[in-house]
Amino acid sequence: MKKRDVIGQYRLPTEVRFCKKCTVSNQRPRITFDEYGICSACNYAEYKRKHVDWDVRERELIELCDRHRNANGDYDVIVPCSGGKDGGFVAHQLKYKYGMHPLTVTWAPLKATVIGRRNLDAFIASGFDNILGTPNGRVTRQLTNLAFTHLGDPFQPFIYGQTNFPLHMAVKYGVPLIMYGENGEVEYGGDMKNAFRPDRDIQDHDKHYFSGLPPAFWTEHGITEADLRPFMAPHYEDIVRNRTTIQFMGYYKFWDPQENFYYCTENTGFTPNTERSEGTYSKYASLDDRIDGYHYYLAYIKFGIGRTTSDAAHEIRDAKITRDEGVALVKRYDGEFPKKHFEEFLEYCAITDGQFHEVVDSWRSDHLWERIGDAWRLKHPIWDEEAQTVRL
Amino acid sequence: MDYGVGNLLSVRRALEQCGATVAVTADHEALLAAPRVILPGVGAFANAMAELRRQGLDTVAREIAARGVPLLGICLGMQMLLDESEEFGATEGLGLIPGRVVPVPALSAQGHPQKVPHIGWNGLVFPEGKKSKATTLLGPLKPGAAVYFVHSFMAEPADPAHRIADCLYGGIPISAVIGRGSVFGCQFHPEKSGAVGLTMLRAFLECSEIPVLA
Amino acid sequence: MRKIRLIARLDIKGPNLIKGIHLEGLRVIGSPNVHALRYYQQGADELIYMDCVASLYGRNSLGEIVKSAAQDVFVPMTVGGGIRSVDDAMYLLRCGADKVAVNTAAVANPQLISDIARRFGSQCMVLSIEAKHIGPDRWEVYTDNGREKTGRDVISWVKQAVALGAGEVLLTSVDREGTRKGFDVRMIRAVTQEVGVPVIASGGMGKPGDVLDAVLEGGADAVAMADILHYGRATIGDIRSAASTGGIEVRAYEPA
Repeated sequence: MKKRDVIGQYRLPTEVRFCKKCTVSNQRPRITFDEYGICSACNYAEYKRKHVDWDVRERELIELCDRHRNANGDYDVIVPCSGGKDGGFVAHQLKYKYGMHPLTVTWAPLKATVIGRRNLDAFIASGFDNILGTPNGRVTRQLTNLAFTHLGDPFQPFIYGQTNFPLHMAVKYGVPLIMYGENGEVEYGGDMKNAFRPDRDIQDHDKHYFSGLPPAFWTEHGITEADLRPFMAPHYEDIVRNRTTIQFMGYYKFWDPQENFYYCTENTGFTPNTERSEGTYSKYASLDDRIDGYHYYLAYIKFGIGRTTSDAAHEIRDAKITRDEGVALVKRYDGEFPKKHFEEFLEYCAITDGQFHEVVDSWRSDHLWERIGDAWRLKHPIWDEEAQTVRL
Repeated sequence: MDYGVGNLLSVRRALEQCGATVAVTADHEALLAAPRVILPGVGAFANAMAELRRQGLDTVAREIAARGVPLLGICLGMQMLLDESEEFGATEGLGLIPGRVVPVPALSAQGHPQKVPHIGWNGLVFPEGKKSKATTLLGPLKPGAAVYFVHSFMAEPADPAHRIADCLYGGIPISAVIGRGSVFGCQFHPEKSGAVGLTMLRAFLECSEIPVLA
Repeated sequence: MRKIRLIARLDIKGPNLIKGIHLEGLRVIGSPNVHALRYYQQGADELIYMDCVASLYGRNSLGEIVKSAAQDVFVPMTVGGGIRSVDDAMYLLRCGADKVAVNTAAVANPQLISDIARRFGSQCMVLSIEAKHIGPDRWEVYTDNGREKTGRDVISWVKQAVALGAGEVLLTSVDREGTRKGFDVRMIRAVTQEVGVPVIASGGMGKPGDVLDAVLEGGADAVAMADILHYGRATIGDIRSAASTGGIEVRAYEPA
């Protein structure tokens, strides 16, 4: 299979450098480093800590809620959630602290985990209305296969659906306000243009979350427009007529995912996993889908950034662990192959082990990977930084 | 006395808390010159005795006793005061208080199995007629005051007169405090027995009526 | 009758006392020594210090904290987390620990248990077990502060370890710890009826009365508590009263 142009497609720098403060590298698409070698996410974390008046931000939230609150108790905010700690925190705060009437919406995981389903049920049982959107299973499988084969990310269709479903629900229920947890681009290192506003433009979807490919691409591969409709955004005019606004709780409240975890165990019946997720050390993040491990694994292949790198990076920014500890964790767990559900994944995508590895290897850019005998190795792992710096 | 065995830090701290100036040392002269000497100990009898002998400290201990300077053995240190221990085969002790060291019984007085090691807090009981000696070493402590034990072997003094206080484990008496002349031992850890333990240490440091070695 | 011990458990990361749930999360509660002193004054019979990230990072950094605690705390202290060798154990004992607790390294190399017991005595060698419920009356041994499965059965492991010389067992329920939902009594009973050494039940205390379940139904010899103390929901005194009112013999203690 032809080698992909990862550098070109994602506009990556050819020289690998790591943030001086956290574990993330400059290979994360759209991330920027300042002249001190510190990434935008870490700088944002500093800014969050030192230069934001959270009382003022809370007042803004209260004003926003006052503007949108429905006096008669009808839904006045859509909260996208998976039953996990972030959506749970947002929904619970909006309902019990700010007097709103949330409708929580969940886009069905491809293959729900037991703990994920249990957490969603516990969340609902703790007092929330929830709508679960499940797209056509056969279509989802085809899309997953195509996304894996052509985009190197089996999770693209899921991400489409997850992003657009709240828009559908907002339009259908006539609720203008959609409240997400955090703006991922801003918190984790990406396009910083929305760092200082509470919301984002709706046209931005394509740019940030769809790897530059519109759903129309799929039609070429035997997927009809009707098949795709649940995954695509509603008509733009309807979105505008609804006066839809997408906002981020992370703007109004100091965002700390680990604290959300504690909050949800106390308030929405959340339980972390009793064992760590494959590819990382964490037990409280991203627990819902048996095959999301392959999304993270492909990111590791493309960018050298696995799940551990990301989990450690935000825990460093939130002052839970030190950078040295983060590096030790990355060395130990990053890029661990998710073998628990591998057979299931192959079956789901209707591909063979050989085809899987062929696709995976086509995404191994020479600027990141080298082959040593039978194995692949990262040329510039974070724990080898010293060697790397000297060589340059 | 420092012979490389035991949690010396806590013993030192506890003694300092009681107002003593403490030296942790293996130096023979310093030990012989001190007005009070503590023999600590944790772990295996044979290993500890071997270390003591290797550094000539067994002779020093006997000399201290002969001079009538108050010596307190703690835990294994107490067991080492006796003639011999059964742990891992028979091993000779210091022979300062006649008797043997035997395993803590695995069956209670009623024949029920009980846990060994004996770990935990247990109250002191004073055998008949021992009140005066008890007051000497144990100060104002009341019967039943709980102290912390952790041991698998126990000292059995041959002469009941040398038992100052016991504790009961499964209804069976275990010697908790023993003494002969100026040589004393406590099976429990006074440095780990909270306020009660500190009271006992203070009494040892301050006691002035030491009977001559009987 | 033996007195049940009430033990304050402090999970440590770096310089901080922390508290997680299901052994996850690193929320900082405060200074280890401030809390240790408080619990000593409240009447804790013992303290347990666990360095809960030691295995993850290949280190145990409790030496300084223990030395500092030993200045003012005159009850036994057990220290665990990342102990991999007899030397590691020796270092902590010299810092003021009375007992060492070992889990991950013992599972990898059971001989370590004998080595420590032989050198310092069985009463010094506490086997720490992180146990997760996996089926009816079956629990699996976890290591690395609840991050790694081992596929080993808790009951057969604890028997093996005690035969090798472990003098005490610290039994932590991964499912209950930090949840305040009460102890896993079945698990405690399953272990206490199999071994002849003292067992400390850990994980799940929600209210002082829970101590009765662990001891009267589970057969535990001691009970470890963390969450309930760290968040100030009860004092050791409250738990001592609950125990004594419930018919359990405990050390009589009056705070000074």
